Amino acid sequence: MEADTGMKGWMGKILRVDLSVSKVTVQQANTDDLRNFIGGRGLGAKILYNELAPATDAYSIENKLIFCTGPLTGTRAPTSGRYCVVSKSPLTGTIFDSQSGGSFGPELKFTGYDAIIVQGRSSAPVYLWINDDEVRIVDAIELWGLDTHKTTDTLVRSTDSRAKVACIGPAGENLVRIAAIINDKHRAAGRGGLGAVMGSKKLKAVVVRGRRSVEIADRRRFDSAVEKSLRAIGKNPITDRSLPTLGTAALVNVTNELGMFPTKNFQEGYFEDAEGISGEKIAERILTGQVACWGCPIACGRATRADRKKGEGPEYETVWALGAQCGVSDLIAVTKANYICNELGVDTISAGSTIGCAMELHERRLLREEINFGDAQAVVDLVRKIAYRDGIGDRLAEGSYRLAERYGAPELSMSVKRLEMPAYDPRGAQGHALAYATSNRGGCHLRAYLIGPEVLGVPALIDRFKWQGKAQLVTLYQNLFATIDSLILCVFSSFALNPEHYAELLSSAVGMPFSGERLIEVGERVYNLERLINIREGFSMKDDSLPPRFLKSPLVQGGSRGRVVALGRMLSEYYRIRGWDRRGKPKPAKLRRLGLETARKTLKRN
Amino acid sequence: MGAISSLTIDKLAKMIDHTLLDPSSTYSKLERLCNEAVKYGFGAVCINPVHVSLASKLLKSTAVKVCSVIGFPFGATPTKVKVFETRCVIEDGVEEVDMVINIGALRSGDYVRVRNDIDAVVEAASGSVVKVIIETGYLTDEEKVKACQLAKEARAHFVKTSTGFGPFGAFPSDVKLMRRVVGSKMGVKAAGGIKDFNDALRLIRAGANRLGTSASVSIIEGFEWAKYSKAWFIEEIPCKICPSRHSNLTKQPKEVYRYYKSKCRTCPDRKYNVFYEK
Repeated sequence: MEADTGMKGWMGKILRVDLSVSKVTVQQANTDDLRNFIGGRGLGAKILYNELAPATDAYSIENKLIFCTGPLTGTRAPTSGRYCVVSKSPLTGTIFDSQSGGSFGPELKFTGYDAIIVQGRSSAPVYLWINDDEVRIVDAIELWGLDTHKTTDTLVRSTDSRAKVACIGPAGENLVRIAAIINDKHRAAGRGGLGAVMGSKKLKAVVVRGRRSVEIADRRRFDSAVEKSLRAIGKNPITDRSLPTLGTAALVNVTNELGMFPTKNFQEGYFEDAEGISGEKIAERILTGQVACWGCPIACGRATRADRKKGEGPEYETVWALGAQCGVSDLIAVTKANYICNELGVDTISAGSTIGCAMELHERRLLREEINFGDAQAVVDLVRKIAYRDGIGDRLAEGSYRLAERYGAPELSMSVKRLEMPAYDPRGAQGHALAYATSNRGGCHLRAYLIGPEVLGVPALIDRFKWQGKAQLVTLYQNLFATIDSLILCVFSSFALNPEHYAELLSSAVGMPFSGERLIEVGERVYNLERLINIREGFSMKDDSLPPRFLKSPLVQGGSRGRVVALGRMLSEYYRIRGWDRRGKPKPAKLRRLGLETARKTLKRN
Repeated sequence: MGAISSLTIDKLAKMIDHTLLDPSSTYSKLERLCNEAVKYGFGAVCINPVHVSLASKLLKSTAVKVCSVIGFPFGATPTKVKVFETRCVIEDGVEEVDMVINIGALRSGDYVRVRNDIDAVVEAASGSVVKVIIETGYLTDEEKVKACQLAKEARAHFVKTSTGFGPFGAFPSDVKLMRRVVGSKMGVKAAGGIKDFNDALRLIRAGANRLGTSASVSIIEGFEWAKYSKAWFIEEIPCKICPSRHSNLTKQPKEVYRYYKSKCRTCPDRKYNVFYEK
């Protein structure tokens, strides 16, 4: 079966599901939106901008939860087996998109939709079953309370053996603000608590089975672009060697040596026992095989076995969050906690970082409960308690910012815009620090992965301690990553591919001319639109910041000792390069150039 | 940016000797190297002598030249062996040879022997391009100057910084020095430690007109990024690209190590020489 809209690359249709009235409608995708925002994150942002009223509560009936594919999803383009979910986050209050691999994304695309907009709220638990043209909202009362693995197994059994499932676990049901959406059992649209938005709508799962194929405008040109991209991926030492061999945790020893492996709630940048949770140790102790997402030549995923259980991971961010961030070097405990997070549907980064924050609160005698750095068993117990909001888990389920604020020390939350920062101490890389501070979704490494040039030397090594020029690079990376997230491809592809590769893949797939420059401009448009949504939600320049620790307290040991972040200097330059005013609002001329004139009203009101 | 602003991807590719000198390289790796050289338009492939016949076959009737190494990597074989090695690879089809000088003789001041060594290889190459590797990491600046003068007198075509197996690779300051000595009519090849397009452009700016690297594909793919931001070219902290900073007592003769470290004391940029990882 082929897409019946005549579109190439895109499927041309959007499915709208209103859970309040159990109604499903299909609408044509707006071609201008597809051309200007591409798909995925960009399309989700456009829909949310149009449809979400300002100051809507993330858990309210009015919030939307948008599952998106991109024009390259489900094609031969390398790393195209992804999807993303866009909504207003209950953790940050910002617009939020969360991306995930596995094989759910392509299957969703093969059902024939570029996006599914879920709105309203069901009175009882349901799941959504999309079997090509047949869309059903099905009672899920029996599934409510089950973990993500049992939910997936049950749904595959009761629908189609080849169906793919994205679902929530108890964490999402219990409106844990750091709840994830888990697909294919082990893959997570993890960040920002979008699992809780799904829970608030009483939507337990989305199950998809599609038989359509994605039409390609110029098959020969597309195949040649794919071959060229594969060649570049095959020649890059990171995508061809480090990631397939050691997984993302290959980074542990690298960042630790550079003194930017955050330890004990970012109090230090060097973890004495890092070796115990390194990629090398994972390969030696628990690895059973490599795992690749759909259509991915890199295969960075780790199939593992620990404590007589099988699973996937832990990834770099997870070994850090549930390990070094909590002062824990017990790989088996970290792996167990990781499995529990996947089963119960919790974001490992935010969970680990929130536990680390609780440990520092206890160390400073602000929190009475005995939660100590280095206590591996406590980490395993606490992730479960978070998912069920059990005891202290109820307070941790709110995320680190609300937890620390409750105890009068919000500065101990290592977060930006209330999103816990990932596993790179910003004092060790000035550009990456700026990327954290200005990220539209909060403390995140995937809005602009400056670790590429600042640490890994791809595409070229630049001085990680210099602040000069970083505003320009962060802007470039934020724009490019917004494009990659809109296409939707894995950001790891950017280690090997450059904007021209992406442009050629897209142009040949959809039959419209896109140059590298034009793609970057699309990313800029997406980034500015997200910024406008955040301004509409009350965010301002004061939110483009970092916890005071990074601005005032230099690291005392390791390869980044003596360093703090020169944020003030970079931020004003960043606003200037972005074409924003001194308060961080896009200037009218910038909006005009990006075709966002109508959004000016947003600025006038805020 | 200077001369760099007119540099296109094609021009950059032509300046690169796509290199595979790893002793464990298999035939399939060599085949891949040759295919990449054709696909990306590299100037030459630079390979070990045992691979020359296969590479010559694979690259027959393409624009990519075959280059091999002589007396590699130590330069410590007798001249007659270097001559024999040169004749062998020429017979097998190479168009360029990269020879390593007799480093010990140079450091002993036995310049006649060094000169004769180069002369013999140039003659054995019978008109093919000869690049003379001086292995900068073992030499003081004075010795580098002398080595370049000897190569020039012997009518070699290029001087080349390093083998990639010595104490360190190519630095802009060395390339600048070598270019100053040999002038504009002779070539300067920078090799060793060239990992990305920024390294490459820095060396070209310093005066290199040929680069030897195994990261050629990443450099070319990465070069596409250059046009998107000037920030890639923000000046590097001087110490990070200075051989003195990279001196290492375990890899260099102690007099050479001391020589480099002593330069730091009078360096106008010494204020940058604070704690900094390499």
